Amino acid sequence: MQRKNGLWKELVTNRLLFLMLLPTLLFFIINSYTPMVGVYYAFTRFDFNTSLFNSQFVGLENFKFLWKSGVLVKLTLNTIGYNAVFILLGNVLAIALAILLSELKTQWFKKLTQSIMFLPYFVSFVILSVIVYNVFNYESGFLNTLLEKLGAEPVDVYNTPWIWIFLIIIFYLWKNLGYSMVIYLATITGISEEYYEAAKIDGANIFQRIWYITVPMLKTTFVMLLLFALGSIMKGQFDLFYQLVGNNGMLYNTTDILDTYVYRSLKVTFDIGMSTAAGLYQSLFGFVLIMTVNYIIKKINDEYALF
Amino acid sequence: MFKKAGKTVSALLTTAMLVSALAACSSNGGNTGGATNAPANSGTNEGAGAATGIDTSKAVELQFYMLGDAPKDLASIQDEINKMAKEDLNATVKFNYTSWTDWDQKYKLLLGSGQQVDLIFTAEWTQYQSYAKKGAFQPLDELLPKAAPALNEFVPKDMWEAVKIDGKIYTVPATYKEYVTDGFVWREDLRKKYNLPTPVDIATFEQYMDGIKKNEPTMTPLSMNSDVKTNLMDRFKAISHSPVGALPYGIDVKYDSPGEVSSYWGSEDQKSDLVTLKRWQDNGYMVKNVLAVKDTLQDQVTSGKAAAILGDNPTRFNDMVIKIQSTHPDWELGYYPYPKTNGIATPVHPIHNGFAIPASSKNAERALAFYEKMVTDKRYNLLTQYGVEGKNYEVKDGYYTMIGDSTSNGFPREGMNGWAWRNPEFMLFDKNYDGVKAIFDELDKIQVPDKFTGFAEDYTSYQAERAALEQVEKQYLFPLNAGLVKDVDAGLNTFMEKAKQAGLEKIQAEYTKQWLAYVQEQGIK
Repeated sequence: MQRKNGLWKELVTNRLLFLMLLPTLLFFIINSYTPMVGVYYAFTRFDFNTSLFNSQFVGLENFKFLWKSGVLVKLTLNTIGYNAVFILLGNVLAIALAILLSELKTQWFKKLTQSIMFLPYFVSFVILSVIVYNVFNYESGFLNTLLEKLGAEPVDVYNTPWIWIFLIIIFYLWKNLGYSMVIYLATITGISEEYYEAAKIDGANIFQRIWYITVPMLKTTFVMLLLFALGSIMKGQFDLFYQLVGNNGMLYNTTDILDTYVYRSLKVTFDIGMSTAAGLYQSLFGFVLIMTVNYIIKKINDEYALF
Repeated sequence: MFKKAGKTVSALLTTAMLVSALAACSSNGGNTGGATNAPANSGTNEGAGAATGIDTSKAVELQFYMLGDAPKDLASIQDEINKMAKEDLNATVKFNYTSWTDWDQKYKLLLGSGQQVDLIFTAEWTQYQSYAKKGAFQPLDELLPKAAPALNEFVPKDMWEAVKIDGKIYTVPATYKEYVTDGFVWREDLRKKYNLPTPVDIATFEQYMDGIKKNEPTMTPLSMNSDVKTNLMDRFKAISHSPVGALPYGIDVKYDSPGEVSSYWGSEDQKSDLVTLKRWQDNGYMVKNVLAVKDTLQDQVTSGKAAAILGDNPTRFNDMVIKIQSTHPDWELGYYPYPKTNGIATPVHPIHNGFAIPASSKNAERALAFYEKMVTDKRYNLLTQYGVEGKNYEVKDGYYTMIGDSTSNGFPREGMNGWAWRNPEFMLFDKNYDGVKAIFDELDKIQVPDKFTGFAEDYTSYQAERAALEQVEKQYLFPLNAGLVKDVDAGLNTFMEKAKQAGLEKIQAEYTKQWLAYVQEQGIK
């Protein structure tokens, strides 16, 4: 009873604030919660002539195609592996670069570097794939033409799977580094100058100032970005993989992730049930992962946890 | 705090839903945005639809869906059509286009999402047979005599029979007779220059490519891209093994003996084909990174990068000839239809072009009556096929002539992709099309019936296996097809093993069963 009173009182006293919250709430109810009913599609046989809840219930039948080809484990590992590298390497490099940039005193050079690093973020993956093809294709690519001029043996990049592990990571970083760096740069700008001045007076050199002041201050941002990224760890970067690898089966062992696999499989058999099943698998996995990591972080330091 | 958790959960699950739409989340972009079915000008009804025998007292707006891109002048054409349709049928129509990007996903969503669609294009390559079998379209048998008697008469009986799925008509077929059989395409000027043989089969085609490789080292002899399944294997099999059609799952049925089913995958035939393809790759007839090439086959030839296409249909060949005439007048292209070698000159099956009424339509009668107008009423037909006479085109000596060129003209010939509502009585042809007609005339002399397209596969019972097999094919068979696997025998063994793991045997057995039932039912010999 009292709780209810409390809530009502809360609503009345802060009615203006709640009113301002309303659009956001509505947005999530309409766009996120209502469509969630459709998760049920994963367990039914899709039928053009009846509604969702009258469709035949088929249990886990729709999930079967995921393990039928025997690649589910490999796909899951590939997906997690790539994303783990993306997240870790991406953040570490972004932090390092942000610190370097923040220590620069020449304003125009700082701005210029920042802009140049940010630019690739706007390059679409479709264009990237064309660039990559023109650099690496065997007969007339830039790389092989160069090697030929130098008298070296040409390299068949498109038929060599292991190279792509590095290529994909490099292109991911090339594209996204500038963006995440800006986030860290903003955090660094927010650190009060007073800390640094005090440290200077105490005789700390520049490396000590970075290690004992800047890095610890970035921890919150890092943990938050990490948690956000973990939620989509099963999604991978569909555009990146799909555009760069596409139909090239030669490379699938090292470059296939869940998203691309699902896309290809269901391009021929577009079945709403099966695609929902795949999406559900990814989301559940992401959900479990984010809950676990958040739990661990909460155990270590309550302040840093997302919720 | 809980709210935050909720947000994350919801965000995750939303993404789940988004994934369910796959890459088609961009579905309703562009021209397909007109889902408003509120009739713009309701009220006044002239009741002029007496002749059609259907109730036209209520004004309706029909949602018409076609694949591809809309012509620039579509809006004005639509207004003209609507003026007539309002008077004739008390209906207006909205012409929607899907654009070619991810059209297959959009098509599936249009049929699956339950949104109102009154008329939609069908073809064997849009899986008409499967969709019809699954109940995505409304049966037209009873509607036709009532709502579209003229159309019912206009389309010959045997064509109505041919499009039937499980004994019911689900689409209105086009009656124009054409051939979309494949044939070799090559640079004839180079052939003459180096005195190479004319390609008539795989052996002569290989000799031609070899000559090109030796004499034009910077040119790639074979135009190919990453879709090696369709562009390489289907064509290769069609010319060398005379199959009844482009059968899936490595199933082999010969045209001459439709009742005998065997597996092409794992057979000696396949092995020797793969050895040939590996030779093509090793000798440099195809580019090494063929699986990463995204250019169309035609562009590679018209730009001068490649010299020959393994197989293309007469109309597309003719398009290339026209293109080259303006860009490289000194080049020449040659064409040799497969049917002259393998004897399978099958005119296009009635299923190849049609329009159906999806299950979601609430205006089936009016939609059909409107479609009848599109086909049989000369005013509607000419307007939607060629645009406005005097503005978009003119008729000279019985030939269609475009006014201006393809960039300045807002409605090129068949600009609405109106393949399905072509009416042979009203059709106008470009002078350039005479080349295609000549090929058609040649094929007419040796024509044989299509035994394959009428077959409707029902993959409900093995769709998980089917999706899994798709992956195995891409990963293990495509590289073999492209000649990139060093050891063909070992590569083929790996592929067969993985395919069996994915359920190949179940798929083949089920497909065979359905196919044999079809052959027997239709009395195909």
